[in-house]
Amino acid sequence: MAKVCIIVVDNGFFVIIVIYFYLFRPINIKKTILQNEILEIRDVSKSYGRLKALDSLSLTVERGSVFGILGPNGSGKTTTLGILLDIIKPDRGNYFWFGKKPDATIRKRIGALLEQPLFYPYLTAVQNLKIIADIRGVRYEEIDEVLDMVRLSDRKWYKCNSFSFGMKQRLAIAAAMLGKPEVLILDEPTNGLDPKGIADIRNLIVKVAKMGFTIILASHLLDEVEKVCTHVLVLEKGKKRYAGPVNEALGNSFIIEVAAPDLLSLQSALKQIPQVKTITRQNTMFVLNVHDDLTPDLLNRKLSDQGIYLTHLAVRNKSLEKYFLELLSDGHE
Amino acid sequence: MNSYLTAMNKLIKIDYRKYGHSRSFWVLSALYVALVLIVFMVIESFLNHVMTNVGKGSSVTIPGFSLYSFPHVWHNMAYLAGFFKIFLALIVIIFVTNEFGYKTIRQNVMSGMSRGEFLMSKVLFVFIIALAVTIVLFLSALFLGLTHTDHLTAAMIFPKMFFVPAYFLEVFSFLLLAMLFAFLLQKQGLAIGIFALYYYVIEPVISYKIPAGVARFLPVKLITHLIDVPNSSLMKLFGVNFRETVSWTDVGGCLVYSALFVLIVYLYLKNRDL
Repeated sequence: MAKVCIIVVDNGFFVIIVIYFYLFRPINIKKTILQNEILEIRDVSKSYGRLKALDSLSLTVERGSVFGILGPNGSGKTTTLGILLDIIKPDRGNYFWFGKKPDATIRKRIGALLEQPLFYPYLTAVQNLKIIADIRGVRYEEIDEVLDMVRLSDRKWYKCNSFSFGMKQRLAIAAAMLGKPEVLILDEPTNGLDPKGIADIRNLIVKVAKMGFTIILASHLLDEVEKVCTHVLVLEKGKKRYAGPVNEALGNSFIIEVAAPDLLSLQSALKQIPQVKTITRQNTMFVLNVHDDLTPDLLNRKLSDQGIYLTHLAVRNKSLEKYFLELLSDGHE
Repeated sequence: MNSYLTAMNKLIKIDYRKYGHSRSFWVLSALYVALVLIVFMVIESFLNHVMTNVGKGSSVTIPGFSLYSFPHVWHNMAYLAGFFKIFLALIVIIFVTNEFGYKTIRQNVMSGMSRGEFLMSKVLFVFIIALAVTIVLFLSALFLGLTHTDHLTAAMIFPKMFFVPAYFLEVFSFLLLAMLFAFLLQKQGLAIGIFALYYYVIEPVISYKIPAGVARFLPVKLITHLIDVPNSSLMKLFGVNFRETVSWTDVGGCLVYSALFVLIVYLYLKNRDL
């Protein structure tokens, strides 16, 4: 009898513990984590015939980040974005926007420019944007705002088939911004733009990112990604090569540029400094790979001790381009 | 129910924005209406002219006849208008394949339209075209009847008016077939070519090869069978008698086909890369 009682008490206690843990499971913590994750991709693959366009890609994008997707042509950048926008159906895997299974309503919170601007050529800029505003349930007043943002207000009554490629590209960015989406997906947004247009789009991306929007930006222009992105995904042949913060990818390695009137004596002086790892001549200056303990002021003092006075001294972060090329060449070794 | 209506209203509005400002859409539509009206107006005198010429040497005098008198005008004009539905199919194919040609279907889906909604917007587009041409038929037949019927009474107007909704169903299901071709083939020239080939060659050939009982249920045949050739006094003379009613089998068949066409496009679109 006593034995039975103990078993009952034991089991009862066990049940109570289970209920206790169930009731006080750390649900709140989980919720905040989920809210920070704008996008989660789980093991997504896509093939075109024998070509593996995307090979089990997993990724999370956090709220407020500017996420760059880098990769050479045909590495799966557009395929990835196409899948996220339900244009391309993946063979395997799934993805979640805002922690939910994706559907058409969720896409109204995402603005996108994919590959090339797509418009009805016989309609004007405003008429085209009205169609998108109708689909997204956005007021027409916002159309003027977004057209202003991309400097197309003076062309708004013109038909799209009279637009140059750069103007269409800008109109597509305006279309993506319509309805103030929480996430902006931009696939090669500076394609076909003039220098002023490129600068405008960059500033726009930075401005929008500062407002707290999340941006996913695919590009093969590394310096573009470097200038605006906080995080980066490097793709090669559909495979993830790196994903994480940009500064982590680059580390704190930096390079120093120096120039002096007499380049030959500068070069021989540099060779005598042990902390200088490599010296590369670039037109009228030298680019140095140095140890971390060689600060610019120390270098300057050492050179002036030898009677060499610099006409140019600059510290630069190692460029993403360099990192990127290193990463991709690693894969082939 | 109300939310469905709002959703449909929204889709119609979107398609109006797409096509309402397209000059080619209005030119093609105006061309269709002009063509139908001209044919409606000249057909009676044309047929009488032909018939009197044919009957010149014959011993039997061929009576002149009126196509425009109530209640037969409904049947006559509905049958006649049926010949021009291929023109409407052309409009549907052009504007559906345009969405693929300009890749605007991508833009629509990206912006937050579901694939089902996109399909629904095109079904509504087809519905509205069918409705518009039915109204054209109704008004022109009404006008011809009112101006050409001797001893007109109100009771003469209403019999056989059911040919008007039958014409609507004929056009609607036929245009859905055209839409099916447009969605499956996507390339404009290809879709128009293959659809014309199917309409004029493939289905007639198939229907020769298979038993008549089965051939009757081929899509184009069934849809066209909805409104049979009108009887004229001439035909009665030869003892030929065509159906003056619309059979429920045909109506049911058209509805089943309509649903089937939409379903096929839906299944095709659902899991496809755009």
